[in-house]
Amino acid sequence: MPWLSLMLFLPLLGACAVLAIPKDNRQAIHVASLATSALSLMVSLGLFFAFDRNNPGIQFAEKADWVPAFSIQYSLGVDGLSFPIVLLTTLLSFLSLIASLGIRERIKEYFFWFLILETGMLGVFTALDFFLFYIFWEIVLVPMYFLIGIWGGPQKEYAAIKFFLYTLLGSLFILLGILALFFGSTPHTFDILELARQNQQFSRTFQIVVFLALYIGFAVKIPAFPFHTWLPLAHVEAPTPVSVILAGVLLKMGLYGLLRVSFPILPQATQWFLPILVLIAVINIIYGALVAMAQTDLKKMVAYSSINHMGYCLLGIAALSPTGFNGAVLQMINHGIITGSLFLLVGVLYDRAHTREMTAFGGLGVRVPIYTGLMTLAAMASLGLPGLAGFISEFLCFLGAFPVWKWYTVASVAGIVITAGFFLRMLQKVFMGPLNAQWGNLPDIRAREILSIAPLTVLTVALGLWPRLALDLMNQTLIYLSTLIQ
Amino acid sequence: MLEHAYLIALIPFLAAHLIFFFGRFLPLRGASLGIAAISWGFLHSAILWIQGLQHSLPLPYESAFPWFRFGVYQVEIGVYLDGLTLSMLLVVTLVSLMVQIYSLGYLRGDARFKRYYAYLSLFTASMLGLVIANNLLFFFMCWELVGLCSYLLIGFWFEKPEAAGAGRKAFLTTKFGDLGFFIGLLLAFAVFGTFRFSQIQLHIQTGQFSGEILLVIALLFFCGAIGKSAQFPLFVWLPDAMEGPTPVSALIHAATMVAAGVYLVARTYFLYLAAPGALQIVALFGAGTAFLAATMALVPNDIKRVLAFSTISQLGYMMLALGVGGYATGMFHLTTHAFFKALLFLGAGSIIHAVHTNDIQKMGGLSRKMPITFLAFLAGSLALAGIPPFSGFFSKDAILLATFESGVPGLDILALCTAALTAFYTFRLCFLVFFGSPRDPDRFAHAQESPQSMTIPMLILAVLAFSSGYLLEIKHAFASLVAPHLPQAHPSSPALSWKVPLYSTALAIAGIYTAAKFYAKPSPWPEYLRYHLRPVQQMLLNRYGLDAFYLWMLRGADRLAEFLYRVDFFLLDQAVVDGFGRLALQLSRIKNWVDNHFVDAAVDWVGKTTCWAGRGVRTAQTGLVQNYMLFMALTVSVLLVTWLTL
Repeated sequence: MPWLSLMLFLPLLGACAVLAIPKDNRQAIHVASLATSALSLMVSLGLFFAFDRNNPGIQFAEKADWVPAFSIQYSLGVDGLSFPIVLLTTLLSFLSLIASLGIRERIKEYFFWFLILETGMLGVFTALDFFLFYIFWEIVLVPMYFLIGIWGGPQKEYAAIKFFLYTLLGSLFILLGILALFFGSTPHTFDILELARQNQQFSRTFQIVVFLALYIGFAVKIPAFPFHTWLPLAHVEAPTPVSVILAGVLLKMGLYGLLRVSFPILPQATQWFLPILVLIAVINIIYGALVAMAQTDLKKMVAYSSINHMGYCLLGIAALSPTGFNGAVLQMINHGIITGSLFLLVGVLYDRAHTREMTAFGGLGVRVPIYTGLMTLAAMASLGLPGLAGFISEFLCFLGAFPVWKWYTVASVAGIVITAGFFLRMLQKVFMGPLNAQWGNLPDIRAREILSIAPLTVLTVALGLWPRLALDLMNQTLIYLSTLIQ
Repeated sequence: MLEHAYLIALIPFLAAHLIFFFGRFLPLRGASLGIAAISWGFLHSAILWIQGLQHSLPLPYESAFPWFRFGVYQVEIGVYLDGLTLSMLLVVTLVSLMVQIYSLGYLRGDARFKRYYAYLSLFTASMLGLVIANNLLFFFMCWELVGLCSYLLIGFWFEKPEAAGAGRKAFLTTKFGDLGFFIGLLLAFAVFGTFRFSQIQLHIQTGQFSGEILLVIALLFFCGAIGKSAQFPLFVWLPDAMEGPTPVSALIHAATMVAAGVYLVARTYFLYLAAPGALQIVALFGAGTAFLAATMALVPNDIKRVLAFSTISQLGYMMLALGVGGYATGMFHLTTHAFFKALLFLGAGSIIHAVHTNDIQKMGGLSRKMPITFLAFLAGSLALAGIPPFSGFFSKDAILLATFESGVPGLDILALCTAALTAFYTFRLCFLVFFGSPRDPDRFAHAQESPQSMTIPMLILAVLAFSSGYLLEIKHAFASLVAPHLPQAHPSSPALSWKVPLYSTALAIAGIYTAAKFYAKPSPWPEYLRYHLRPVQQMLLNRYGLDAFYLWMLRGADRLAEFLYRVDFFLLDQAVVDGFGRLALQLSRIKNWVDNHFVDAAVDWVGKTTCWAGRGVRTAQTGLVQNYMLFMALTVSVLLVTWLTL
């Protein structure tokens, strides 16, 4: 049974079904999209139990010739690197769809694009053929463009165009890199794993040129300084569920690309580039945290905190050790879960208050205790409180990086206290102090909203107390990956 | 019992969650469960402790189970029990039990009563986890969790802006110290390849590590201890933390959490012993903090803040003890201090409960209204002042003795001065609160003794504050439990062992006498001193300017953040990225112009030329046969002429 293909194309099937439903039939649209996304999630959960945690290689592989003339294949598979992110994608997509039930306008198109987006993202993380990878990579852009541009905030067109053009520009460099690798390899191949196995055949200069091309493309997605400026705008303007996907899944595409493509295929260039990468990591961490501290808009603050958190991932992968890789991949998962819930929570508040200015609130802790609890927990997780998900991954990133990049790591540690600073200030401004009379009738969080957030909250706690849940999936693969590069 | 010691921490942990989610279905809204859980912990710890005293336990005992793996490494969650752990367990469970019973009365009717007990149980669980942790990572996790509980409980009445701010300040200040601890963890793992205390100890004893590396690790750990135990220069959060409910101050900010820094140094004492110079630095910070905090305790009028500064000062004493080699001594003072300082806070809570103010200038004469509280508070004060035979006398005396024997110049004087100041500020409180005539008759009239749920825990602690010092000294019971393997640092010289107690007791009595002169009856002295020493008083009230300094730094960070945001938005985004976009637009406009004026113009020109050419040639196309004939004739003749001439 081609389980991966099934998981991959179920949302696409749902999209086609949505197209066939009359646009006034909201319920049918909701059911069709939720059902296909839920089935996709079920398949990935089934694979979670079937996944062999001792196997560092590709599992559930599927392979078929597609364009034999150029040795392009339809090749899917997951390993310890991609599978955790695949799980994250199916989960966040499903939860975001639940959170999308509140969308009122043009819902048929909305759900259509959302489901296409899910297939695109899953494709990126499961494709093992470069050509296929690139197609999915580009597919992701289009629905995202419409989702931001139509259902976004006041500056939606500007944000959508900026996002689209910026990432498209990055993709062009990726395309160049892919073509260079294809023509540089003998025999010519688009097989990512094959290229990694034969990584000795590329000369150092060739590696560096290709690495830089790929890096620009990936760095825009991560986003790594200084290619990050599309992010706050896009995150803030996007509707809540789309922000969740943007932060939760899309940012991981860049890091995944680095770990799947650049590092194993171009090991010499990786070594050459590491000093720059670690510097960028430190800038992401400190600069991202400081800029987040300057925000008064809740969503913008969360958006900038993503830059900071992706910095931890970069620091982890710059270690080139299993410890750092474990930290980085776990941090990707944790960031998806934590920032996902933060965006959902900010969305809940915005739906009621129609503002996201921290200073406009105050004392909400008395009025909306459940919401306050969930938000406090998510903020604590994001600032890396031990016992919650973010801590172990940040810690492993630092632990891996420290022996290699001592002073950079020491400098990055300051990011922890800045992060704590702005999250605590947010909690104080919004929830503490005397209740702002304007919000005397603010209703607490509703059941549907809890339904979309609670799984993330549970996972935040579960992964914090029992990180093996995710670490056991990835460890073997990441050990193998680090030997490929060394 | 020993192999199930993890239950001591686990049960309160589970209780905390049960109370949080289902507290409203439980008797006393969950408080019953919290008290039951901690009672179990107390009994369990007490049995272990007694067995430990009888040396009938196979100590040290360690057991662990795997937590998670990364690469080839594995981290565990596990327990490590030795005499140090056992005595600390007893202190934490006992004080926590007393405070939880006391809170029944103190927090009665509070809207968030259930949540209070959930937090308190979570705190106790985390603190006990910290105590029994067998490795640094698990220790650090509990270390941060007690910080979280402290944050939540300081800001328990978060509607008050001061409480909310104090919680944040506490969290951030300790977090700042924890950065050092965190880097220390990274370095320790890089050096030793493990987080387990026992293995690190083994490595240090058998391996060859450079003294500098060990010193750096030790000092980084000490940064964490400075934050948590409110030592100079990070003590600023503790006085503000008094915004929390008073029982919380007793438990967290006097007896247990703030002692965690001392415990950290004690737990990793092998590291400090192996690192040259580390202990001296600990001693220096300890003595300095003890003295500075004692001076700051002279001026506040808030009863809880005086006690907070006193706590900082006493924690300094503990650090000093550890620093001069008095391992068991430091822990001894930690134990007695936990009892008498918790007692003093509970007493203060009882007073605040009765008069609804923290301001000692509005109290006075309360011994008549609240005799039990008075007796308990007096016992605590005598212990704190170090009057024999109260417990504080024994432990403080041991510290002074160890300091004198260490022979480090200056430390002994600082420690003695601190002892005198301690006696003075403690009895300043006592006299102002309980003696003289009431300064606020209205509040006095309404004051009454607290209910039994509050007085009984105070009385129990008062008995301990009186007797624990003496009892633990019998046959060196405490030292032989806590430090069975460590030799006594220095053999006591006979002259010092009677001189030091004599000096310290004399100084304490002098302090009390001065306080009595100043405050027992209205006296001109305080006003006279205030008038003539105003700058000193201001400096003490401003806490030596440290708060202002930190605020200044914070404002700097804020400005930097603001500046970077501007750079990010205006320079990177609007100027560069959008600049590229605008540049592309401009280029395309120019291209458009070039396209229109050159490329397209060239095309048009070809067309137009063709048209003109056509138009020119068209004039020949007259349509008249005669003309055509004429052209033909002309052409033929020209061709003929050409051909003929060739």
